[in-house]
Amino acid sequence: MEIVAVSPDPNERSHKMAEGLHLGYRFVADRDLAVCRRYGLIHPRGGPNGEDVPRPATVVLDRDGVVRWLSLSDNFQVRPDPGDVLRAVRAL
Amino acid sequence: MRATPLAVASLLLALGAPVGYVLLIRVPLVRNHPGAYVAAFALALALAVVALARGRGRRWPAWVALGVSGLLLVAGGWFNFVGARVPATPTVLRLGERAPDFTLPDADGRPVTLAEFRGKKPVVLVFYRGYW
Repeated sequence: MEIVAVSPDPNERSHKMAEGLHLGYRFVADRDLAVCRRYGLIHPRGGPNGEDVPRPATVVLDRDGVVRWLSLSDNFQVRPDPGDVLRAVRAL
Repeated sequence: MRATPLAVASLLLALGAPVGYVLLIRVPLVRNHPGAYVAAFALALALAVVALARGRGRRWPAWVALGVSGLLLVAGGWFNFVGARVPATPTVLRLGERAPDFTLPDADGRPVTLAEFRGKKPVVLVFYRGYW
């Protein structure tokens, strides 16, 4: 399983976070939100300074790149339980 | 129960709820029920009202508890039900359909292309910003 974390944050910040949390993620930088926009995952003016930010989302893709499980949050405090994500991956 | 212990209980509940939420933010059961801290503020406000109603003698602790829990209830309620809301977006992701391909630089500046994982392993995509 590959975990790819997509964020507009600069890479140095993601790097620090990954080291601090000991995460084996691939962090990729979507600086201008082009991919988030293409995916339709934008929270307009949701940032602290009124800027657009990604809508928090977790997506499980099977080996063919097909969407098998999807979690879209409607409250940015709420995120999927990691156990549910792992179960979705194991069910593939 | 006398008024002052009720006021103290109200303050502990009102101030303890957000502290507990932040300390336990990594526990999914806690993090995914932010309405619980709003409920704690409401309960703290109710305790402060009872303390005031029973208040003979010293009343200021109950007034302090009323002010603190009332402010936190308004602020916390607004944050949870309005501020933290994320509007529904017309996402192109559909169950059973292939996710659009992309290439983005990773933390070392190397390009990562989603299609490279095809035929090899499942991928979990996480979209986020900031520290959560």
